[in-house]
Amino acid sequence: MQSTFMRTLCRILIPALLSLSFQSAHAGIIGTDNAAAVSTVQSDRAVVMDALSRTDVSSQLQALGLDPSVARERVNAMTDEEVHTLASDIAAAPAGANVGWGAIVLIGLLVWFFFYRR
Amino acid sequence: MSTVNCGRWFARLAVTSFLAWLAGCAQFVPQTIDLRADWPAGVPRAAELAGVPYFPQTQFDCGPAALATIMQSAGASISVDQLVQEVYLPARQGSLQVEMLVAPRRHGLVGWQLPRTYSGLLEEVANGRPVLVLQNLGLWPIDQWHYAVVVGFDYERGELYLRSGTTQRLVLPFTIFEVTWRRSGYWAMVASRPESIPATASATTYRPALLAFGRVAAPARTQAAWRAYLARWPGDALASIALSNLQYQERALGEAEAVLRSSYQRNPESVEVLNNLSQILSELGRDEEALELIDRAMQLKGPFQNEVAATRSGIRKRLGR
Repeated sequence: MQSTFMRTLCRILIPALLSLSFQSAHAGIIGTDNAAAVSTVQSDRAVVMDALSRTDVSSQLQALGLDPSVARERVNAMTDEEVHTLASDIAAAPAGANVGWGAIVLIGLLVWFFFYRR
Repeated sequence: MSTVNCGRWFARLAVTSFLAWLAGCAQFVPQTIDLRADWPAGVPRAAELAGVPYFPQTQFDCGPAALATIMQSAGASISVDQLVQEVYLPARQGSLQVEMLVAPRRHGLVGWQLPRTYSGLLEEVANGRPVLVLQNLGLWPIDQWHYAVVVGFDYERGELYLRSGTTQRLVLPFTIFEVTWRRSGYWAMVASRPESIPATASATTYRPALLAFGRVAAPARTQAAWRAYLARWPGDALASIALSNLQYQERALGEAEAVLRSSYQRNPESVEVLNNLSQILSELGRDEEALELIDRAMQLKGPFQNEVAATRSGIRKRLGR
């Protein structure tokens, strides 16, 4: 079901994006994002890939317990670069579980506290 | 990078600091050692931002709580619950750094990651900006990530003051703080109003933060941000493009022209500035002037050749050539 959905989505998305990328905001004016991009013209392929990784990251966020609309809003506020960072962060190993064995060594903290403070 | 989930941080802190003490301090706290010989110029030896609000965290929400602390202190009215919706990941029981940097821009503030230095952190605090930091309070191989906010320091006493977890004013020695902070790669961020740029920002590090801010912020706030940026770094061609494009969208052509003119004087070789200035002059009905500038852009070999050619043919058409 998911793959059917994704396929349909891509069919709609790809032409939509291709048409988007050819329209600049105003004829004659070079847009801020264009001027900021290191490579002057972002390839159509890159535009499509970025859009796909957005939907991908958004569905990963949903899998981690977010509402679809919340996930979409969070991804929308990000730059393409941030979307890529998030994609790799989500895949990173989870933080370890809690183990409460530290209180005994409180003395170490106190010794430090009195000898080396700066 | 891992999720930050702020459980039993105090126990972890104790273990970490004990081990650090055992191994001797020098290789664990290089930046603290540097401060002894090289205190940052212009930064007082002590400062504390007593007015910074405090939100005690519940089990895992140190991310949203720390973020609410710095955002409210920058003037946004925002609750911890609202930020839970924006940065917390239920299944990971924590918040990711990239989302922490994104959230402020949704409320009209610029999130910016500080240079990874102790001196930068102290300088921002001394300038009245609380700094959100990521610490690892765990003991290898267990990670215990935790977000807290540095609100002050007293170097003579060797103390840093933080809003942390369920402690409103946590006192940590410079050394222990560095041991825990260093493990996040000295990760720290601030949230600031668009018109006030952090003291330790540089043109190249702050520019991406503003470009990202412009994606979601209201145009008026984005304009204010670029105006502040240009006031601090007047020669920046991209900032002049960004500001003038926003003015152009509002049809404030005269203002956009003025911004690009002064940018052109500083960046006579910038094809983008020349192109956009010509287009605006042409729309103001000054096609002769525009043609002269666009011809100059044609001669400069560089990017945007197609755009320049299109602008030029538009101007020539209006001139009837």
